[in-house]
Amino acid sequence: MATEIQGMGHSVKRKEDPRFIQGKGNYVDDVKLPGMLYLDIVRSPYAHAKIKKIDTSKATAIPGVLAVVTGEMLKQYNLHWMPTLMSDTQMVLPVEKVMYQSQEVAGVIATDRYIAADGAAAVEVEYEPLPVVVDPKKALELGAPILRTDKKDKKDNLIFHWEVGNKAATETAFKEADVTVKQDMYLPRIHVCSIETCGCVASFDKISGKLTVWMTTQAPHAIRTVFALVAGHVGLSEQKIQIISPDIGGGFGGKVPVYPGYVIAVAASVLIGKPVKWIEDRMENIQADSFARDYHITAEIAAKKDGTMQALRIKTIADHGYADAAANPSKFPAGLFSIATGSYDFKTAFAEVDGVYTNKPPGGIAYRCSFRVTEAVHTIERMVDVLAHDLKMDPAELRMKNFIPANKFPYKSALGWEYDSGNYEAALQKAKVIIGYDALRKEQAEKRKKGELMGIGISSFTEIVGAGPSHTFDILGIKMFDSCEIRIHPTGKAVARFGTKSQGQGHETTYAQIVAEELGIPVDDIQVEEGDTDTAPYGLGTYASRSTPTAGAAGAMASRKIRDKAKKIAAYLLECSEADLVWERGKFYVQGAPQKAKTIQEIAFAAYTNHPQGMEAGLEAVSYYDPPNLTFPFGSYICVVDIDRGTGEVKVRRFVAVDDCGNIINPMIVEGQIHGGLTMGLAPALYEAINYDEEGNIQGGSFMDYLLPTAVETPKWETDKTCTPSPHHPLGAKGVGESATVGAPPAIVNAVVDALAHLGVRHIDIPMTPWKVWQILKEKGVAAER
Amino acid sequence: MHATSTKQFQVKQPIEKVWAFLSDLKKVASCLPGAQITEAIDDRTYKGTITVKVGPITSQFNGEVKIERLDNQIHEIELLGKGQDPRGSGGATMKMVGKLRSLTEGRTEVTGTTEITVTGRLAQFGSRMMDDVSNHVFEQFTRSFQAKLAQENGTGSEVAFAPTPQPVNALPLVLSVTGKVIGRFFGRILGKSTSS
Amino acid sequence: MNHRIQMTVNGVKNEADVQPRMLLVHFVREVLNLTGTHIGCDTTNCGACTIVLNGRAVKSCTVLAVQADGGDVLTVEGLAKNGTLHPIQEGFWEKHGLQCGFCTPGMMMSAYTLLKNNSHPSEEEIRWGISGNLCRCTGYVNIVKAIRYAAEKIATEKK
Ligand code: FES
Ligand code: FES
Repeated sequence: MATEIQGMGHSVKRKEDPRFIQGKGNYVDDVKLPGMLYLDIVRSPYAHAKIKKIDTSKATAIPGVLAVVTGEMLKQYNLHWMPTLMSDTQMVLPVEKVMYQSQEVAGVIATDRYIAADGAAAVEVEYEPLPVVVDPKKALELGAPILRTDKKDKKDNLIFHWEVGNKAATETAFKEADVTVKQDMYLPRIHVCSIETCGCVASFDKISGKLTVWMTTQAPHAIRTVFALVAGHVGLSEQKIQIISPDIGGGFGGKVPVYPGYVIAVAASVLIGKPVKWIEDRMENIQADSFARDYHITAEIAAKKDGTMQALRIKTIADHGYADAAANPSKFPAGLFSIATGSYDFKTAFAEVDGVYTNKPPGGIAYRCSFRVTEAVHTIERMVDVLAHDLKMDPAELRMKNFIPANKFPYKSALGWEYDSGNYEAALQKAKVIIGYDALRKEQAEKRKKGELMGIGISSFTEIVGAGPSHTFDILGIKMFDSCEIRIHPTGKAVARFGTKSQGQGHETTYAQIVAEELGIPVDDIQVEEGDTDTAPYGLGTYASRSTPTAGAAGAMASRKIRDKAKKIAAYLLECSEADLVWERGKFYVQGAPQKAKTIQEIAFAAYTNHPQGMEAGLEAVSYYDPPNLTFPFGSYICVVDIDRGTGEVKVRRFVAVDDCGNIINPMIVEGQIHGGLTMGLAPALYEAINYDEEGNIQGGSFMDYLLPTAVETPKWETDKTCTPSPHHPLGAKGVGESATVGAPPAIVNAVVDALAHLGVRHIDIPMTPWKVWQILKEKGVAAER
Repeated sequence: MHATSTKQFQVKQPIEKVWAFLSDLKKVASCLPGAQITEAIDDRTYKGTITVKVGPITSQFNGEVKIERLDNQIHEIELLGKGQDPRGSGGATMKMVGKLRSLTEGRTEVTGTTEITVTGRLAQFGSRMMDDVSNHVFEQFTRSFQAKLAQENGTGSEVAFAPTPQPVNALPLVLSVTGKVIGRFFGRILGKSTSS
Repeated sequence: MNHRIQMTVNGVKNEADVQPRMLLVHFVREVLNLTGTHIGCDTTNCGACTIVLNGRAVKSCTVLAVQADGGDVLTVEGLAKNGTLHPIQEGFWEKHGLQCGFCTPGMMMSAYTLLKNNSHPSEEEIRWGISGNLCRCTGYVNIVKAIRYAAEKIATEKK
């Protein structure tokens, strides 16, 4: 039966869906092993306190409670601290003091999850509260309490100071500029809140010494190595650790780090010799897992009178909580924040970031974005509007004037990146046409006369994804390549395994399409597997939109290796020289005689049954793809908002997103990724934030107070695209899962500020909640009487 | 989380009698709903417990109350209380200044200023209800104070009071605040206490 | 003290002894091993646990198993009949109404009840109908399309 190949560019229905729509997905909490025990965690009510006593006697007296794991216990094995991905250290369980509210204090192991919860409630802990530091600016002040007293020589709360760019040249440019603008902004803490929380089932086999962990992780291989490094001294060596990342219910960056809960579950399983399940609840997820953002930014632009932007200067204080547990490439403590020059042709720029310890959960990770790119994009896209405001220029026109021209690619940015390709004008132009920009400006002018508040906001972002080239990118020393291994079975069907891990992006489908495109094997005949470290080749995992740029490329490269061997077999079968063969998707034929052909399926069969003498049998290949550069997806978004003068509510009336992610593998999936990304851009712009009061009490620690957009608030997204392929990616693709999260927030903020610009409003920090907006309306005297 | 409030009420007793009552920590504590003095450490420091019930969660704070200042001249007392729930729901400190002023007709005005700092689960979730809870507590305290004082001085009382320590029960109160909120609040507490 | 309860789930009669505090969602997932119903929160906000109990969509994390004693339950596992997908399932697949799939079973059960009560919902009505279900991946656009698809399919099947 001839099935369609369905390679690149097809909206293939997803191969993974049949199991999900029939309730047959296999998520971590669905794993049930015989004799499995449950872990529940006792957490600290204090943000900073000495632990004076932990009394576990009442807990262990409960029938069904088997053990209570404490820091003192782990200390015997030197497992009470663990390294973070940023070479800092973080507690698994505390021995001396707790450093944030909801920090893990002890783990209760019981036969049933209800009993485990009873046990956790029965553990009595006596604390002595210590002074709490929640404001990173205060944390840097002289005389602030030193938080990391575990670090002997630490005399302050500064984690790192990082700078990039040309400081002197930037200073000169600012001195000589016609105009300069400056703006403070704060991007608050937010949380990814994948609908599936984190958890694991750890199962240690005392006889074989093998540890198997089903785990909600975006990077199973890296986790295996981390486990081996951390627990090598207690006898867990890497060949005896198997990490299985089954179906994952959303990741967005939150499932990159190693959380204490995983380690406690593993330790308990090793100790007791039975499987232990740990599934955190939502409050634990929001209150203790890694967060995103928390950047206090001051940015400045120097420009000519006509609006030509000359120089950019940024100073940032990054609140990391009590440990730097970011998930950045090692050499980039502030991630790829240096993409902050954005889509604009700056002559020079300088940025500095101070990382600071506070009494909050450790982080920070991404929130559906490549390492700190959202922070960078927010800064520049907001600043361009601030400049437009001060110069009384149209923000679209100011952007057009300053874009890096299409003919200047590859382009070296002032902060050192080499942009692979771009055509920013085309994307903005397209967005303007679709939304009817000029007509909207007219409508706005008329509405203003009537006292109605309507705004139009633009964001023309450039992303940087696909980390990354091994000369600069590693995590804990492991280079950020990614991998694919393909085996073609004798009947011409294939299994392809990758080093990444889908959390909803549809890898089983898109990777199959890549292999289909390259080898001509129908998508339906290709089985894609990821997430099991015993079978998949080593890779760094899925985050930062790196799957297509790295593992996708590895898929293409491995396919091409197979094609090379297939060509030799075809030449043997067709009794001709390799040079005479022409490849047409799915078959080789003899040049000038297309009827003399061998399909990939025939070749595969021959590889096992009739291969040339002197050649090894079989048809398989592995590729570890080290990308020569990152990829730089971009887009232009335009948003129209109406503001309710009575309530301060912001209504997104329209939102047009024109994205360019190079060549597209599956348009349906790309569009879905953009819809989701836009919604995760809307969320922090209007609703989400985690704040702390002075005592370090978390505000917004549950879905009651931390508001995810529902279908009702979410606008009907309008999407379109331009296509500027990446010149260095084997498929010309760029990665897209996060563009929209990065690009959307400034478009929305710019629209809201634009709606109020005539009242003298120049900047609003997110989230722009009705209360916040209403206060501004009131202050400006335009709030409607209710 | 901080909450500061000042409240005033009057009692039909002369200032000296009220002062005798107010400056006796054990007596004052008996008016505080849910509070109990369990042990005297010295004549100014006492150990005690206070029970707070919010929905299905009952927190028992173990703590210490200390008389920081006692001024018989101007009839002012300053108390500092610190407590902690050993079962992990959090802790609280309370600074309270009580002041008396003589009024005409043998009446006395009592002014209480409290500054409460709460840490832990109550502070995370209760911030929207905190004011109502503290009003409620204060109201119970006032009634109890007046009643006990009256009883002690054999003048009878118009107000009934609870003879044994009753936990601060915020549930009915919150229900009257908003039914919807409590439904969800109940859900999340219940979710934690039974399903995690 | 355990209680003996009875429940018909996806057409199958079940009996079990449960603790009075056991949540319906845990009963379905752990006693009956129907793990298609998920848990995404502890405050009745996310809807990942939505099932149909006696004809109404309920968040099974907020119902005790004993409260559902004698009840009739439909979960995602009961949607397809004899190997044929329900139009809602088909719609979600056709219209790319899911990504990670975690919210999907609950979302489909809400959609199921919505369409039972309103066979031709407008976009607005669909959005309100699923407003008790959070999805972090899809941005809802394709979920709305999937439910529309199902509504149309059901209407043509009836003809
Ligand atoms: S699990 Fe979130 S509503 Fe039931
Ligand atoms: S598909 Fe992932 S939460 Fe909806």
